[in-house]
Amino acid sequence: MNKLDKQFEEMMKGIRIDSPSSDFTLKVMSRVQAEAAVQKHHLLEDYKPVISKRTWIILIAAFVILMIYITVSGKETTVAPNSGFWSTISGSLDQLKVKEASSVWQKGMGLFSSVPTIAYLILTASLALWTLDSYFTHRHHASKIQVN
Amino acid sequence: MNKTDDLYYIEAVRKGNVQAFSYLVEKYQKLVYTLALKLLKKPEEAEEMAQDTFIKAYQKLDSYEGKSKFSTWLYSITYNACISELRKRRIEFKSLDDRQISDQDEQKMHDYYRETRKEDQEKYLNLALEKLPEDDQVLVTLYYYENQSMDEISMISGLTVSNVKIKIHRARKKMYEFLHEMLKEEVYSLL
Repeated sequence: MNKLDKQFEEMMKGIRIDSPSSDFTLKVMSRVQAEAAVQKHHLLEDYKPVISKRTWIILIAAFVILMIYITVSGKETTVAPNSGFWSTISGSLDQLKVKEASSVWQKGMGLFSSVPTIAYLILTASLALWTLDSYFTHRHHASKIQVN
Repeated sequence: MNKTDDLYYIEAVRKGNVQAFSYLVEKYQKLVYTLALKLLKKPEEAEEMAQDTFIKAYQKLDSYEGKSKFSTWLYSITYNACISELRKRRIEFKSLDDRQISDQDEQKMHDYYRETRKEDQEKYLNLALEKLPEDDQVLVTLYYYENQSMDEISMISGLTVSNVKIKIHRARKKMYEFLHEMLKEEVYSLL
């Protein structure tokens, strides 16, 4: 800056600049708050559950197909004694020598006894995942609403 | 980073503290409004434009990289929004004529100006500033009042640095001419 520039700067520092209305900050901040609420709403809409609906449908379909397959093929095959979880239970009932009850139980459970334990584990794990997913989705939703 | 730094509040807003944005609004509202008023002329329009500028700044805050001062970034939003508004209305800035006063005359006018009463100085200076083309008023205010550098003004206005230099130089000389005319008129009216 040369001398003339400096002199002019001094002069310009003396001017008073214009001011907006006294409630300017309030007006801007209320618009900013509204904008923030809209942005959070979009975030909420953008939220995707950990396991998508599509994955759930595939998982359920696979499980149903597996169950059907095991049930159909299970009728034709002999179940080895004490080969599964349900066989253990029916075996225990045999030991109690409650013949009538045991036969009804065995008929009912015969279907399930052909299902390998791994299938039950898959079902249990899927249910646990679904419960956790629903819980966290619900919590996320609740916390966003509280912030708004 | 201390609490007077703009970056401190920018980070707070980014982390979800919306209220921290009010510090930036308080700090820059006058200059943003002044720039908008110089370009748009009408106070109501300038106020609306200033509000829109802050909303835009809030929306785009994540894109502010901190490479320039926050004020430079904010003024560029203001300037560009006003320019596009004026373009919509097909309003063009008048340009300064090429006649320029010499440096010696400028010095004489400055000394003469200094001899006038303090309260008159501000009045005449504002009147002289208003006589400049709108975009030149903005450049002069940013450079001499807000201490923005030529490079920063170039970023705000989109003009080249050399163009900014020329425009500011010419605007300063023109303001002295306007001051001279006004002060001469005042002397005549007193006689």
